[in-house]
Amino acid sequence: MTKTFHPLTWWIGAAAIAIAVLLTENTIFNLLVVGGVSCLVYFINRKSIERTPWSGGLWFALKIAALIVAIRTFIGIAIGVPIPGTTIFELPILYLPEWMTGIRIGGAITQERLFFAVSEGVHIATLICIFAAATSLTSPHRLLRQMPIFIYEFGVALVITTSVLPQLVASASRIKTAQRMRGISRRGWSGVALALLEESLARSLDLAAAMDSRGYGFSRKRSRYKREAINFRDITFVCSAIVLIPTSLAVFT
Amino acid sequence: MISFNNVSLIYPNSVKTIFENLTFTIDEGEMVLVIGATGSGKSSLLRLINGLVPHHTGGILAGDITVNGLSTTTTKPGGLAHLIGIVGQNPAHGFVTDTVEDELVFGMEALNFASEVMRKRVEEILDLLSLTHLRTRSISTLSGGEQQRVAIGSALVMHPKVLVLDEPTSALDPIAAEEVLSILHRLVHDLGLTVVISEHRLERVIGFADRIIAISSDGSAVIDLPEQILKDSPIAPPIVHLARALNLDSVGTSVREVRRMTTHLRDFTPLENIDREINEKIVVEVRKISHLYGGKTALRNISLDFRAGEITAIMGRNGAGKSTLFKSIVGYHSPSSGIVRVLGEDPIKLQGRVRLSRIGYIPQEPSDLLIHTSVAKECSASDRDNGLPEGATTEFLSRLLPTVSPDSHPRDLSEGQRLSLVLAIILCSAPDILIMDEPTRGLDYQAKSILVDTLISYARNLGKCVLLATHDVELVAEAADRVVFIADGDVVADGRTIDVLLSSPAFAPQVAKVMSPAPWLTVKQALKGISAATGEDSAQ
Repeated sequence: MTKTFHPLTWWIGAAAIAIAVLLTENTIFNLLVVGGVSCLVYFINRKSIERTPWSGGLWFALKIAALIVAIRTFIGIAIGVPIPGTTIFELPILYLPEWMTGIRIGGAITQERLFFAVSEGVHIATLICIFAAATSLTSPHRLLRQMPIFIYEFGVALVITTSVLPQLVASASRIKTAQRMRGISRRGWSGVALALLEESLARSLDLAAAMDSRGYGFSRKRSRYKREAINFRDITFVCSAIVLIPTSLAVFT
Repeated sequence: MISFNNVSLIYPNSVKTIFENLTFTIDEGEMVLVIGATGSGKSSLLRLINGLVPHHTGGILAGDITVNGLSTTTTKPGGLAHLIGIVGQNPAHGFVTDTVEDELVFGMEALNFASEVMRKRVEEILDLLSLTHLRTRSISTLSGGEQQRVAIGSALVMHPKVLVLDEPTSALDPIAAEEVLSILHRLVHDLGLTVVISEHRLERVIGFADRIIAISSDGSAVIDLPEQILKDSPIAPPIVHLARALNLDSVGTSVREVRRMTTHLRDFTPLENIDREINEKIVVEVRKISHLYGGKTALRNISLDFRAGEITAIMGRNGAGKSTLFKSIVGYHSPSSGIVRVLGEDPIKLQGRVRLSRIGYIPQEPSDLLIHTSVAKECSASDRDNGLPEGATTEFLSRLLPTVSPDSHPRDLSEGQRLSLVLAIILCSAPDILIMDEPTRGLDYQAKSILVDTLISYARNLGKCVLLATHDVELVAEAADRVVFIADGDVVADGRTIDVLLSSPAFAPQVAKVMSPAPWLTVKQALKGISAATGEDSAQ
């Protein structure tokens, strides 16, 4: 078994990279970062045996990121304030009433306007990907273990709420599959909703009963099974992520 | 260890008392089995032990329950966590964390155990339940039997004196069930643990029980030795039915006992069972289908024919490819290669009413198909969907389930009643092929026998084709003509029920084990076989 990193390593590293991204505001750097973290997650998760429901987080985030860039680009070029520059092509202008002066729909699409829209989209998407990568590498449950006890107690409640979500998605798809196999196809979500509601209610009651009978919240104090050690590797990773901030500022601005 | 004193229980907004004046004690180191029909309050009784009822569910409790001297009226479930370990009906619903190791320590962390103690106990439990190789695995990726072991482990790690389990084997295949039960048996003997367990499939647990609590529908309960309770209980495993049918002096609870009692019935050569004539009409034709799921082979080059009038049981571990095969047959997806034909047509192309009259599919959770707010509405929707005259489904339902009120909400029905409702909805359009996924989960013997009768008459009288995916050996013995065994996407056995079931001890039903080498699987077959053979003997 390969030794895993300390869970905080990834989150501090992610925060440092996010700061670098925010400070440089450079699209090429953003793309490099997304490529870099994707490779990192891919190679680390490929080796690790510990697969959590969160492992697929980055893949999901990449899809959302692509969607964000697409929407941001569309809105950016179709609606908004014109930026002068080299015109690529022109859209017909849609005239708006008097009181909306300053905003324009359609019109000339300049290179600058397109570039500005794309880079803003990429910027937001990059930040999402960085934190999704951190989630993919350590489950939030492991991170919460490192927190002081009073945060932990609150956090457990939070994590349970969030872990019900993937289960709900799984139940919904099971019910949909069952109905499709039966040949019920057009009823949409109304048919699923009732079954889903019943199941999620039963599930949360079961979970609450299980936690209750295992003594959750009974004792004022709470102990920890393992303290995770901070290794040389962790320090190296965090330091290099922090060094990235001035380096990127020097190179990309 | 556990004592109930004049315990009565009534749930809020209910007119029926669940229990009335229960008084009994369970001693240390006993393994007690709780039996009763569905809805008789088995789960309530188990949850009374650690106070989840009424602290968690509400309800009015009269009388007193003490566990190791602590009264549940004054102590909350959390305060009994170190004393009582409880494993719910569906362990997957009770997991709090992601990985096996974290799950094991959850309770100990909550009770502020020292970390050295925790480490020692985790290792101990991992060894005891052979979970060591799974310690860092994500729980959601484990099989049903492994999850059940993790759930038992996270209860045992607290070193409880009492372990309470609600239907621990209902989702497991026979081999995984055997494994879980033998672990429990060992714990009782090695650690003096007190175990209270409820189970529908008595044939699986009966051999392990020291005493039985039988709950009857009027809320009373008796506790006694298994032989006493089973002598005239309507809820009994096949082995007891056999002993009663053969008029043996006493009922036995293990195969060994009954085998000894029936030696005199086995010293003749049994006649070969006569084959039923095979209907040649092929309903489903599966030709060389293979299917890939995310790069994994779920089915590998499978060819099978399913005939009219034949009930086929598809058996195999979870994940062996049963569901994928069903999905291909109902036309949910087209297999990666190969062809499927239902009465000569591609099932994917079947739509609307034609589809409903060809293929009837009942999922593992029958209630997934129920989307209306009352039984009457479900029935009339089914009439419309199937193009039947008004009232056809209701009439069909009244034959299966005479007592159900049409105004009741489908979700308020018991599991058996729900299954009957779904059966009525599906069968009233008389589909040529009926497919059921794990139909006996959570059913009591009564509901199961209704199911078996319905299936047999549907296949025999109407000449339809029935496919069942199941872990329930006794159901297979009662209903199926043919068994197909699938492992890792391959067909490993395909033949008459009798041949396939008898070839492996883990899958042989109890009656077969008692009567071996005679090829009888059920009480009915054994009686018929014995009378035929003895009749012949006397004629000679």
